[in-house]
Amino acid sequence: MKMTEQKTGNGYLFEIALFLATSAQGCLNEPPLYGPFRLLDALSKLADFPDHATGLAPDPFLKEIKAIVDEKKFLVMYDVDAFRKAIDEIVEKLVKEMKKRYIETK
Amino acid sequence: MDIFEVIKGRRSVRRYKSDVVSNDVVDKILDAARWAPSGSNIQPWKFVVISDMNLLELVRKVSPGYLGETPLAILVCSDREREYRVGGTLGRDYLSIADCSMAVENMVLAAYALGLGSCIVKSFSRIAVKEMLEIPEGIEPELLVIIGYPAHKPTPPARIPIGEIVYLNKYGEKFPTSLER
Repeated sequence: MKMTEQKTGNGYLFEIALFLATSAQGCLNEPPLYGPFRLLDALSKLADFPDHATGLAPDPFLKEIKAIVDEKKFLVMYDVDAFRKAIDEIVEKLVKEMKKRYIETK
Repeated sequence: MDIFEVIKGRRSVRRYKSDVVSNDVVDKILDAARWAPSGSNIQPWKFVVISDMNLLELVRKVSPGYLGETPLAILVCSDREREYRVGGTLGRDYLSIADCSMAVENMVLAAYALGLGSCIVKSFSRIAVKEMLEIPEGIEPELLVIIGYPAHKPTPPARIPIGEIVYLNKYGEKFPTSLER
């Protein structure tokens, strides 16, 4: 059984738009911690964007971040402190990468 | 499987295999659902079984809480008009949700007893789901139950200690128990 259709870049972009809009709708009434949870989930989906869009180079770093996000995001359901710590770690990794990409290479 | 094993063994599953769930298994889950208790025996529930893969994919796209991909989802709705007609405002505003929740609990326990995993989803766009599944006025989508064969076994989350949730005779009075967690 085929669970996911082959997505085009535009199709995937539209899917992310749906996810963001319906998440915004949900976040009006859902537990406050679902906000960061949805944002992490969006980050995970965005990391897959180069797989579907032409003209975007694969980004192994973002895939690495995606793997961490997907492993840690469910902590929100049972260990909020660990969830907060995981977000800090993800941001820290992104900042290090930002320095590498935008400062050290200049 | 012993009922206490089922109650304690069921988890919210978020990674699934793509194996199809057979119709007779779906029937058993639905039968368990309709035997749930309901206030004044109103049985306000309506079930929309979603097994069409294209439709499932669309429902998933508008349901941020639908995590993982499953071959099956069942939308549990309440007939709010019937609840109001029979149960008044108490029925419409409170019992409809409670009744559907009891049906859903039966569903997820039955699914687990049949070797399936499931997750109860409330984070879906009500407007989008109503539109896509052509849900009429007066019928309210309450909960989406996603079902499939589990690809992992989640660790049980901690329980609030029983001493913090159970009291004897008066609220706040210690309840003697041998239960640790």
